[in-house]
Amino acid sequence: MIRRPGPGLVAVVMVAACGLTASAYLKFGTASGGTGSSLRWVKQPARYFVTDRGVPGVSAADLDAALGRAFGTWQGVSSADIRFERVGFTGSPPFEPDGVSVIGFEQRPDLERTLGATTYTYDTRTGELLEADIFLNSTFDWSVAPAGEPGRFDVESIALHEIGHFVGLGHSALGETELRPGGGRRVVGAEAAMFPIAFGAGTVLGRTLRADDVAGVSDLYPSGSFRESTGSVSGRVTKGGVGVFGAHITAFNLRSGALVGGYSLSRDGRFTIAGLAPGPTVLRAEPLDDGDVQSFFPEDAEVDVDFRVSYGDRAVVVPEGGGVGEVLIKVVAK
Amino acid sequence: MALGLVCLIASPVRATVLLPADMPEVARAAAAITVGRVVAVTTRLEPGTRRIERVITLEVTQYLKGDLGREVHVAVPGGQMGHYRTVMVGAPEFAPGDEVVLFLATRAAGLPYVVGLHQGAYRITLDTRSGTRVVSPAPLVRDPDTTGAVAVRRGDPARRPLALDAFAAEVRRALAGPASRVPRRAR
Repeated sequence: MIRRPGPGLVAVVMVAACGLTASAYLKFGTASGGTGSSLRWVKQPARYFVTDRGVPGVSAADLDAALGRAFGTWQGVSSADIRFERVGFTGSPPFEPDGVSVIGFEQRPDLERTLGATTYTYDTRTGELLEADIFLNSTFDWSVAPAGEPGRFDVESIALHEIGHFVGLGHSALGETELRPGGGRRVVGAEAAMFPIAFGAGTVLGRTLRADDVAGVSDLYPSGSFRESTGSVSGRVTKGGVGVFGAHITAFNLRSGALVGGYSLSRDGRFTIAGLAPGPTVLRAEPLDDGDVQSFFPEDAEVDVDFRVSYGDRAVVVPEGGGVGEVLIKVVAK
Repeated sequence: MALGLVCLIASPVRATVLLPADMPEVARAAAAITVGRVVAVTTRLEPGTRRIERVITLEVTQYLKGDLGREVHVAVPGGQMGHYRTVMVGAPEFAPGDEVVLFLATRAAGLPYVVGLHQGAYRITLDTRSGTRVVSPAPLVRDPDTTGAVAVRRGDPARRPLALDAFAAEVRRALAGPASRVPRRAR
C-alpha cells in the first residue's frame, strides 16, 4: 500500500526507529530531537470528567457508572501501575482542547460507522499525556444492561477499548472477521480489547481484557515484578532475503493458549515482542491485508501486505525475565 | 514563558472503533462513487465547531455511481492547524496527486464525506509486476460460488489488488445485487 510522507506523529514505528524497544501490540509514540517516547501519563492518577448528558436508555449516571467499571478493569491489571480519578460531571463536550479530559456522548451522523474515538493532547517533546477526550457516537443506540440488549451497543465494551487509547495504547490486530451470507462483514473473534473493529450490537464480549491488552498496559506502566516475571522474543521477518516492514507477528503460548501480537517495525524486518508469559511459544507472521493499515501505523509507513502466512524457523521457549533472539520468519509473496 | 507554552502545544490524535463493512455494503451506502485525482488538500475548522477537518478537492474522471460534478470537495476528519494536529485513526489520508476511488455520502448541511472512513477509500497505483493500474486494497467481496459465511483470512493469495476496470465491474455488480454476480472462476 502506498503511504504519503506526512508530518511526524504517533505510533510505535517512530519509537522503534529511534532505538527504543518495541513491544507487543502498538504503543503510541512521538519523536523529538532524534529520540522517541511512548505516550503515557506521567502525573497520576489520570483525571477525567464525564459529560452530564445521557442518551435514550443510558442516563449520565449510567454512563458514569459504566465508565467507572471500564476504568476499573484497566486499573485492576496487577502487573501494571496505572491509576485514574473521576473528578465529576461537566457540561463541556469532548474534543475541546482545554487541558481537561472529558468523556461523553456526541452526535456525529457523518461518522456513520464509528462507535467511539479518542483524542490525545500531549507534549510533543516528551510524550507526556496532558489530555485525552473520548466520545461515544450517540447516532447509535447504547446500553448499559448487565447482559447487553439486542440492537444496542455496550457502553462498557466500547469504553474499555477507548480507555486503552486513553492510557496510550494503539490498536491490536488480534481479531478475525467474516463476510456474512446475506452481505456485510462481522467480527467472529478478538483476542484483544484493542482490536479496532467492534462486535455487533447486543453483546458484552468486549468487557474483558486479554493477554495482549495486559502485556500492553503493563509495558507502558510496569509494576515492580513485571519485567522479571515475563520474557521477550525478537527476530526478523524476511521476503526473498529482504526485511518486511509491518508484518503482524503473533506469539502463541502453547501452555496457556494466550496470544500476544507485535509487528516488524524496521526496514530490515526486525521485531520484538515483550511481556510474554514464560513457556513454549510459536511465532506466526501474517500480512495486514484485511483491513486498514492506517489503524496501526502512521500514514507515511510503507507497509508490505503482499505475502503469505508463515511461521518461525524454530520453536522457542520464552524464559522468565529474559529473551530469545534472532528468530527468523521467512515469508513468500502471494 | 510564551516560548515554553509553544513547546508544550500538543498534537491531538484520535483512535476509533469501527463497525466493519464489506465493499458492497459501502457501495450501496454511497450517493456517489468517484474515480479521480486529488488536486488540493486544505485544512479548516469545521463550521460551527472547534473540530479540525481537511477539505479534499477531487478532479473526477469517472463516476461508478451518481454524479456530483467534475470537481468535488470532500470533508475528511482531522488535520493540522498551526501546532495542533488531529488524527482520526481510520480516516483516509490524501495528498495532491493521489489517484483514488472514493465512495461518497452526501448530507443536507456540509460537504460530502467518505463512507465508513477508510472503508470507502481506495488507491489507484501502478502494479510493478504487471505494469497495469490497480486498485488497492483488494475489495472485500464474497465469491458468489460460496455459501455460508466466508472467513477473511490474512495472507489469502486470492485477495490481490484488482485492475481498475475489474474493480469498476465489481462495484457495478455489487450495486446490481447478488443475482448479477459472475462466479469468480469464470472471469
